[in-house]
Amino acid sequence: MTAFIIKRLGFAVVTLFAVLSLVFFIVRILPGDPAMVILGDQASAASIAALRQKLGLDQPLLVQYLNFLVGAIRGDWGVSMVSGRPVIGEVLSVLPSTIELTLVSLFLGVILGVPAGVWAAVNRNRIPDVVTRIVSLLGLSAPAFVSGIVLLLIFAIALQWFPVISSGQDTSFSGRLRDLALPAVNLALIMAAYVTRVTRSAMLEVLGQDYVRTARAKGVPAGVVIWRHAMRNCLIPVITVIGLYLGILIGNSVLTEIVFNRPGLGKLIVGALTQRDYTMLQGMIVIYTLIVVLVNLITDLAYGLVDPRVQYR
Amino acid sequence: MTLKPAILSSLVLGTLLSATALNAQTLRVAVPGSDMGTLDPYRASATLDINVVNWLFNGLVRIKPGQISPEMIEPDLAESWTTSSDGKTWTFKLRDGVQCQGGYGALTADDVVYSLKRAANKDTSSFYAEYAAFDTITASDPKTVTITLKETVPSMLGLLVPYHGGNIVCQKAVEALGAEFARKPIGTGPFEFVEYRPQQYVKLKANEAYFRGAPKIKEILFRYIQSDSSRDLAFQSGEIDLINGRFEDSWVKRMAQIPNTKVDILGPLEIHNIHLNMTQKPLDDLRVRQAIAHAIDRDAIVKFRGTSISKAAESVIPGGYLGFAPIPLLKYDPAAAKKLLAEAGYPNGITIKSIQTTLPAMLTTMQVVQSQLRAVGVNLEFTLVDHPTFHSQIRQDLSQLVYYGAARFPVADTFLTQFFDSTSIVGKPSAVTNFSHCDVADDEIKSARTAGDIEKQKALWVDAQKKIADKVCAIPLYEMGQPWAWTQKLVFDYPVKGSLNLSPPIDETTQLRN
Amino acid sequence: MKSDLSIPTKASPPSELRAVSSLAWRAFVQAFRTNATAAVGAVLFMIIVVLAVAAPWIAPYDPISQDMIVRMEGPSMAHWLGTDYFGRDTLSRLLYGARYSLVIGLLSIVIAVAVGTVIGLTAGYFGGRLDIVIMQVMDVVLAFPALILGLILVAMLGPTMMNIVFAIAFTAIPPFARIARAPVIALREREFVQAGKALGFSNLRIMFRHLLPNILPDILVMASLWMATAVRTEASLAFIGLGIAPPTPTWGGMVREGFENILDNPSLAIFPSLAVLILVLALNLLGDGLRDAIDPKLRTEP
Repeated sequence: MTAFIIKRLGFAVVTLFAVLSLVFFIVRILPGDPAMVILGDQASAASIAALRQKLGLDQPLLVQYLNFLVGAIRGDWGVSMVSGRPVIGEVLSVLPSTIELTLVSLFLGVILGVPAGVWAAVNRNRIPDVVTRIVSLLGLSAPAFVSGIVLLLIFAIALQWFPVISSGQDTSFSGRLRDLALPAVNLALIMAAYVTRVTRSAMLEVLGQDYVRTARAKGVPAGVVIWRHAMRNCLIPVITVIGLYLGILIGNSVLTEIVFNRPGLGKLIVGALTQRDYTMLQGMIVIYTLIVVLVNLITDLAYGLVDPRVQYR
Repeated sequence: MTLKPAILSSLVLGTLLSATALNAQTLRVAVPGSDMGTLDPYRASATLDINVVNWLFNGLVRIKPGQISPEMIEPDLAESWTTSSDGKTWTFKLRDGVQCQGGYGALTADDVVYSLKRAANKDTSSFYAEYAAFDTITASDPKTVTITLKETVPSMLGLLVPYHGGNIVCQKAVEALGAEFARKPIGTGPFEFVEYRPQQYVKLKANEAYFRGAPKIKEILFRYIQSDSSRDLAFQSGEIDLINGRFEDSWVKRMAQIPNTKVDILGPLEIHNIHLNMTQKPLDDLRVRQAIAHAIDRDAIVKFRGTSISKAAESVIPGGYLGFAPIPLLKYDPAAAKKLLAEAGYPNGITIKSIQTTLPAMLTTMQVVQSQLRAVGVNLEFTLVDHPTFHSQIRQDLSQLVYYGAARFPVADTFLTQFFDSTSIVGKPSAVTNFSHCDVADDEIKSARTAGDIEKQKALWVDAQKKIADKVCAIPLYEMGQPWAWTQKLVFDYPVKGSLNLSPPIDETTQLRN
Repeated sequence: MKSDLSIPTKASPPSELRAVSSLAWRAFVQAFRTNATAAVGAVLFMIIVVLAVAAPWIAPYDPISQDMIVRMEGPSMAHWLGTDYFGRDTLSRLLYGARYSLVIGLLSIVIAVAVGTVIGLTAGYFGGRLDIVIMQVMDVVLAFPALILGLILVAMLGPTMMNIVFAIAFTAIPPFARIARAPVIALREREFVQAGKALGFSNLRIMFRHLLPNILPDILVMASLWMATAVRTEASLAFIGLGIAPPTPTWGGMVREGFENILDNPSLAIFPSLAVLILVLALNLLGDGLRDAIDPKLRTEP
């Protein structure tokens, strides 16, 4: 298994290189200019040109690319073009808050989605199936910024249970939880919808299988059949989806972060994109790549945990 | 059912937690936008940046707090000044007891000289062009600063108020902090910088050693809240005391309904113009430009934006600026528009391509204009781009029609130079924001700068405005102020008409009552 | 990367699977006869399509004509679903918007499913180096947060409808490749595939006639959910930067515009969101029904 992990990390380096090269060129092809952003709308064309020179943006693309690669290999991700702060520091300062949000909403999504999916599968085409279907699709139909405002209107304005600004700055545990609640629920709505649908689908398949029927015929209680025997075999597709959406969740947390005013990777990368902060974008994409690689690895390892027949080669 | 756990968990939490008690002397401010750009006063030009700069720095002189007219100038760091008879030598006497924040020592004439030189240097300042007439800046003793000019300038004292290049910094602090100064500004003003959290807030505290006395408000938390709805809700829930709002009538009305809230529109006014590229077909034909002007219903647009925050423009520069005069503009007349188009050889209408930002407040106005133009056969096609692309592409002369809103230092010269003088035409190295390639009033703009006599200057500026409007370099739409709302706990010591830095003047006299 | 894994799954007789692939069409028909779910979905979906096609004849107003006197009004006799920020009729915009949103949602997901499935199938079936390289490329795309990648693509190409379709499809390809690939890895070792090889069937035939029907159910379920994602993505792209140029009515664009004024009139954001919900519900019912119909293990169940 160690060999398996090492091999996978080896591939990760290749992925990282490809992603980096790609991001380097596409952000520079984009129209828009960081120098313009830095100097503001009253700057003359001459000062903009001077700043471009200072930032090294007037050099040929290939020269910039080589400089960037040399720096990257040395572990130097540079400083943000706009704020002048080290890229890595900026990213690391918001990373915990994104991870916290993602994990909690993932957890919420699973504890809501799995039982709902099982309930729907067991009662296929009956009322529970219809109810879970509509509720889960509701979570998918409204963009996160709309559902976020609806949550704020209900829980922060009408009921006043939670703050509107969930800055995540509170250091006490209860304070953090209070800040986290609404954003996490908002993000979990999407996750729960996917998990519900996949669980239902997988459970239906398993329920039709011989061993389940046999167990039922032998008089094993339905609850035991479903949760002990059938559930085990549903886990692989559910884990696949969770793994797949974990990455997507982290990427899509941007809308939730904006509406709830949470610091986080999503807000940082949208900011970097709108400011055309090339160095910041490059650094952030590296982090995203690492997260995707790591999540894929964990997903694969999780298969082995739930299904001993899976072999790592 | 997905909401149920939220309700459950919050029931549990609700009993555990009581609202975090905040220091009542903390003023919590929220503005639209995602992040701070720079707090270096010579670089900051975005509204949300100069808002903060406003509370940190002083100038040699200042406009009376709460006012915006350059004719209401009073002493700030300088307690008095004298002018030579030719108006080219100015001598300022500094007041005693001014301390730089952060323990950088007393402010001296050398700091002032350093500051103004920095403001006039194109490598350190975005506003250097405004100081081009400065010849020498010297300190004859620690309390005296002398400025000599190459030629007289339209509003000499206006260049020395705490706005853009007129802010005075402390030399030791700038040199010690280097590039960090942009994120850790040091001034002499009522509030001093404490902390900056990217994409979240800037925290300021009272400058207890402020020369006019320690401020009553002890802390300012200046938050960046990008989502309009979230910002409004945070104000509604009492988490914010002072909020910069949306350019919408509905916003003003909705905020006014919140109990104990004061809503106000602060100056200086920003004018929104449509600049027509006079060098490109079919807009090179005066009749086509006149037709477009006739097709636009200014009053309908004002009604759309809201009469509480906007009014119809009366010239190509904003009202209230020194040198502004209402001039005759082409009236809304769709029939005349169609006739002019036909005369110009376009009886079947024309198509105009325009690069348009997705910024909602700007895009919505243009959607109304698009609809009005369609009525006379002008098909206005949008190429939609994000905001940074918009700024970059309109400066590459890629848009036939540019819609732009701006406020500048309230003297006609600044606005006319940046938008209508041929040196500012986009594409030139000296380019600023002349998108129309307008060059019809160059002489007037230039002579006004050195005319010396204020009445002569004013007459020249009026001529310039008339010429620009006659040739339809730009079609003025409306003027708009800054919408702000604040809790009535926040009390100003004087009437607040506005502020050059577009945020309410919070100073040593401002209170936050419990 | 995942070729290093093999997930043995439960056995089921290959004869039945082959039967399914050849009887797929009959199963589709069967589905509507016996499965009310699918029928409801199909009818709902057809209604939406008919409304979209008939929009020019049934819409009460011109979807882009502005009326400054009746801005942001609630539902009334004159405007059944109220008016928007520019005084345009919400109902008319929804009807016309269905045309664009159907195209955006369906086309982008059809492209993503088709391309993603072929990629996943190929990678999973052949395994080895090819698999590694393909999935490596997919990981490169996945490394970009979908919204950011979409925004970059649209910013580069311009916010036209086809470019937005392309951007959404592009970001959805890697997930579908992964969804398709995972079961194929397990299936390729199974008797019916080995038997097919022994009989000299071409790889293409095995992949598309024997493997595809087995993975299709899961993909259909996912595809119906991604439709919602596609429409939402269009709204989200507009929220953080770029959407289709106005005055074109799209549901995503309407949600986004409605959101601007959600505190003044919530119905502006709610009606288009409901329209998205109905469309996704229809497709999801259809997807689940089809899935149940072509899944061999469920087909015989009552």
